[in-house]
Amino acid sequence: MRIFKKSILVFALLFVLSFSPLFSLADSVNYPLSIIDNTGTIVNILQEPQRIISTSPENTEILFALGLKDKIVGITNYCNFPEETKNIEKIGEMSPLNLEKIVSLKPDFILAYAGFQLQEIPRLRKLGFNVLVIEPLTIKETLKSIKMVATVCGIPEKGNILLEDLSQRVDKIKTEVSKLAISNRPKVFIGGTYETIYTPGEGTLFNELITLSGGENIAASLPGWVKISPEFVAEAEPEIIIIPIGAMNPGEESKVKENISNRPGWSNIPAIKTQSIFIVNEDLFYRAGPRLVDGLELLYEIFHK
Amino acid sequence: MKFSINKSPKEIAGYTNWQKKLILMILGGSLGILGVSLICLNFGVVSIHPKEIFSLIWNSSLDKTNSLIVWQLRAPRIIMATLTGIALATVGGAFQGILRNPLADPYILGVSAGAALGACIGIALQYATGYYLASYLPLFAFLGAMLSLYLVYLSSKISYSVNSTGLLLAGVAINFLFSALITVLLALSKRELHSMIFWLMGDLSTADWKKISLITLPVIIGCLLLFFSSLDLNALSLGEEEALHLGVNTGKLRMRIFFIGSIIIATVVSFTGLIGFVGLIIPHIARLLIGPDHRVMLPASALLGAIFLILCDTLARMVISPSEIPIGAITALVGAPMFIYLLRRK
Repeated sequence: MRIFKKSILVFALLFVLSFSPLFSLADSVNYPLSIIDNTGTIVNILQEPQRIISTSPENTEILFALGLKDKIVGITNYCNFPEETKNIEKIGEMSPLNLEKIVSLKPDFILAYAGFQLQEIPRLRKLGFNVLVIEPLTIKETLKSIKMVATVCGIPEKGNILLEDLSQRVDKIKTEVSKLAISNRPKVFIGGTYETIYTPGEGTLFNELITLSGGENIAASLPGWVKISPEFVAEAEPEIIIIPIGAMNPGEESKVKENISNRPGWSNIPAIKTQSIFIVNEDLFYRAGPRLVDGLELLYEIFHK
Repeated sequence: MKFSINKSPKEIAGYTNWQKKLILMILGGSLGILGVSLICLNFGVVSIHPKEIFSLIWNSSLDKTNSLIVWQLRAPRIIMATLTGIALATVGGAFQGILRNPLADPYILGVSAGAALGACIGIALQYATGYYLASYLPLFAFLGAMLSLYLVYLSSKISYSVNSTGLLLAGVAINFLFSALITVLLALSKRELHSMIFWLMGDLSTADWKKISLITLPVIIGCLLLFFSSLDLNALSLGEEEALHLGVNTGKLRMRIFFIGSIIIATVVSFTGLIGFVGLIIPHIARLLIGPDHRVMLPASALLGAIFLILCDTLARMVISPSEIPIGAITALVGAPMFIYLLRRK
């Protein structure tokens, strides 16, 4: 009975909402548009952005996924996905930003990243640029910022389609994982290619991905990205070791595996005994963009197939 | 050895005709700074025709994008480099004088470590509390610098040593203490690590007119005060006792220069971060070129420092454009070979 009442309420709400402009799936966005970004700043977008600069690889991936590639006029040296990024003008480092280069590209919209770029934002705004800062720290927030970008760029319907697809894929993994017994969740250690070990703990995207895909992060109780000792890993006895490689963790697959296997004191770790060491592309896990879902699916494959 | 009998020891050491030398040098140096500035105004990732730049100097409303580049980005950077160069080289020269130590630089008396610690705390707080603290970073750096200044002053006062060693050792100790605290902060930091490291390497790319308006007066007045202490510094260069015999209160002189120099450096460093090498080497180059007389050597250091830093900053933004090399690396890469060449020639 209660469920029935609730569903009536939900339908009634949906009915009302469908008439409100917020819920409309219409193709157009009414400019000017005010939006509060992740720095808590109200950003006024006067018209549909035509010349966009992205100051981080995740932002570039979001813009590409939304089909906005023809409007992108500048990206950073680190934006390497998809292939077409090769043909787009580079603005240099992510921090400090090369303001002269940015000014010369005459952007009418800059999609920035908070994190270590936070210092640069006031400088961009002082020059009069329209800067939208996003810094998603969870999958949910990532999906939300994709939607925000789609709205600002005047293509909310495309945003909804992308979002729908991504959410469905996430939900599918969630459902699969919910069927698993707790004992079926492997203990996972995320390593790196450096001798000093930094691993993602609580509050990181990586940790969320591990949990969602049905793994148990050995560093889940530690805060943020933490430096841990080799002893900690040996004691935790992970059953699976994942090594992300890429720009931040350079290395060759075979060498990396060999190095990890030969670390002193680690010979008893189950993952090393069974050689359950997986080398993955770090970009799927570090970048809060649409490819996070690829990363999630990859982890699920590794853990449960 | 070719000693001319006609020359007095003073002449040989370069202490004569100093007024003439000073005037010529200031004229030449100022023209040099102006020339180098105008040339460097033409360099950047975006190529703008010199003709257009020249017309933009008089009439900034010609082309919006280019005038933004020239007036809001390139010009402030060049002026910031000029002021920073003047400050670092003059204070470096004066500190070498009071400490009677050729390895002294503006950072040796601890003020930079204080500024760095202040800035790193500022950055950490900013990430903890959000976006709004971003523009107060220089204030944190300045407060840190003042704290270290006070601590060095206190420790040098209770030091057993009455001469320059006491001040020097106090400075070195505070440097180590603050650097250790910075290391702890860096080890604890996460997202903010990158910002902290970049601050520590020094950066002129954040220059804007407001910052320039804030540092101009402290730098100019401070450096003039240092120039006016030149005679006392000359006396001190003969030796502690000799200076006392000449009527110079060396203890007071040392404290005065320590305070003035540290305040200049604190102001500049708060905005630019730690740009190394300029304050160490430029005074030596000035000494090699023009002689040890502080009345001429300090202004020469200031002018050379300015020119050197403008050139280094231009290189920093051009070499791997659109990326930038930290300017501290360029100053050492360019400065060290130049210095060795000058040493060899003498």
